[in-house]
Amino acid sequence: MKEKLKKFIFAEVIYHENPASFGNGDDLLEAGLDSMGIMRLIMFAEREFGVILPDTEIEPDNVHSLDALERWIRQAGQAQ
Amino acid sequence: MLLAPFLRQCGQWPEAVALVEHGRGIRYGELLARSHSIAAGLQRMGVKPGQPVAIHLDRGIDAAMALFAVLLAGACYVPLDLKNPPSRLAFIIADSGGVAVLGLGAVPAWLEGGLWLDIAACPESTPTPIETQGDCLAAILYTSGSTGQARGVALSHGAVGAFAQWASDLLALCSSDRIASSAPFFFDLSTFDLYAVLGCGASLHFVPSALPLSPARLSTWLQEQGISGWYTVPSLLSFLAYKGNLAHTPLEHLRFLIFAGEVFPTPALMDLAAKLPQTALYNFFGPTETNVCCYWPVDRARLSPDRPIPIGLPAAACELHIHDETGELWVRGPTLASGYWTGGCLQTFNGKSQAATSAKGQSQVPPFAKNGLGGISTTQEAGNPVYENWYPTGDSVSLADGEYWFHGRLGRMLKCAGYRVEPAEIEASVNAIPGVRACAVVGIDDPAAGQRPGLALVMEPWVTPADIRKALARQLPAYMQPSRCLVLPELPYLPNGKLDYNRIQALLV
Repeated sequence: MKEKLKKFIFAEVIYHENPASFGNGDDLLEAGLDSMGIMRLIMFAEREFGVILPDTEIEPDNVHSLDALERWIRQAGQAQ
Repeated sequence: MLLAPFLRQCGQWPEAVALVEHGRGIRYGELLARSHSIAAGLQRMGVKPGQPVAIHLDRGIDAAMALFAVLLAGACYVPLDLKNPPSRLAFIIADSGGVAVLGLGAVPAWLEGGLWLDIAACPESTPTPIETQGDCLAAILYTSGSTGQARGVALSHGAVGAFAQWASDLLALCSSDRIASSAPFFFDLSTFDLYAVLGCGASLHFVPSALPLSPARLSTWLQEQGISGWYTVPSLLSFLAYKGNLAHTPLEHLRFLIFAGEVFPTPALMDLAAKLPQTALYNFFGPTETNVCCYWPVDRARLSPDRPIPIGLPAAACELHIHDETGELWVRGPTLASGYWTGGCLQTFNGKSQAATSAKGQSQVPPFAKNGLGGISTTQEAGNPVYENWYPTGDSVSLADGEYWFHGRLGRMLKCAGYRVEPAEIEASVNAIPGVRACAVVGIDDPAAGQRPGLALVMEPWVTPADIRKALARQLPAYMQPSRCLVLPELPYLPNGKLDYNRIQALLV
């Protein structure tokens, strides 16, 4: 899941000089993920992983890193 | 004087709340007193009427006080985008001929100390009153320029005031309104918040900067603050409609939403319209040079997912004309900017429009003579054609059944995350990097950001794309950084010797 997210983010959402060096715990918001990027990422994740990410859980804490994103998406999937 | 309606409110209702930011509120009377003290501080520094003063503060109460202080001193303000690298900020201050920089606390390391005025250190004081005429400049808003450098759009007191009065009348703003504000002061959207809203005695509530990342929190905040109106960008409203938990957060006080700055995709607008059935929606349109020149009160019955929405009717008594040959929208009217501010001087649109038409090889005769819109009479005064008051927007539009429709840009300008970006400005920065032989910047369509810049370049073998990135990061703000970068052995050209931008675009996508 993290690889798919990472591939999407660095191909479509934010530019990074060297995505290979970007760690799973590194800060996506600092790397340039903004509100529009979060919206696209959520649309991608819902489609790709067949989950619905609840409105009230869209928080910096859940989207700030690849680790956080994966944890959030898996939890949302289990809750459904 | 642009502040006259605000000053009337201060005189009548000094105890009314003017601004709210993170739970901190300031009343009209207090706001005026603080602005007076800062204005007096500027006068003590020797700032004269008409001189530019840069604002080194993010949007909020402090920045609003600083802007009003500059106007009270008769000077004109230049709001800085603090996300820009210092080299660009320094350029804007130098280019504008800024005589002072208003900020909070210590002088930034990159700035010459003599220009700095800490607004918190201005003792209580009253400035010498300044008489300001409608054609005096109130603000210079820097945008990306086609000449390869950032360029200031110079707005007069009269132009901003005309827009504020028109918008205030259209929306029937009143003192019980509570208006949300999210536009940075270097965007023209902010002129609605500062002058239309505060001119009516309403309160302005600054949207906390982290909220756009959490749309459900944003809707809760709108509800808790009792927000009755908001002028913002489509992308934020799309996110609010999509994930703002609006089904459980009724925004019963929200009587209007205005959007501008980018095209609102109709399906997303329909989603918003369905979730906020009681809220009137308005599409405002116009480049910074015209502020708003067209508007469309959204007619829900006419929304269809596969059709764009019109930009509507002329706004604020603007006259609109469509160029016969190019379909370009030309505008003149009371909200039009005075011109461009470059190198400390005002350059009217006249020079620009003449240069633009001759460069395109178009005729110099009145461009609207045959469009059936009464162009002849409005372009002539006392029998002589008058061109200097018209601004060619570079937007392709059409007119059908009395409504205007937008069809994209005629030139190369891009719209990236709400900012306008001239590819020529990015190209100038890339070309200045050692080892670059040639480059071209084109727009890559992006469903969320509108467009993002894509870069094709030809380099010496000892340079890497990472070198280019590092250099650009020091010179350009994030929204101007190319999202894709393609190294080519040479750039593709058309048989007529011009760069083949379509081919470059195809290679980058």
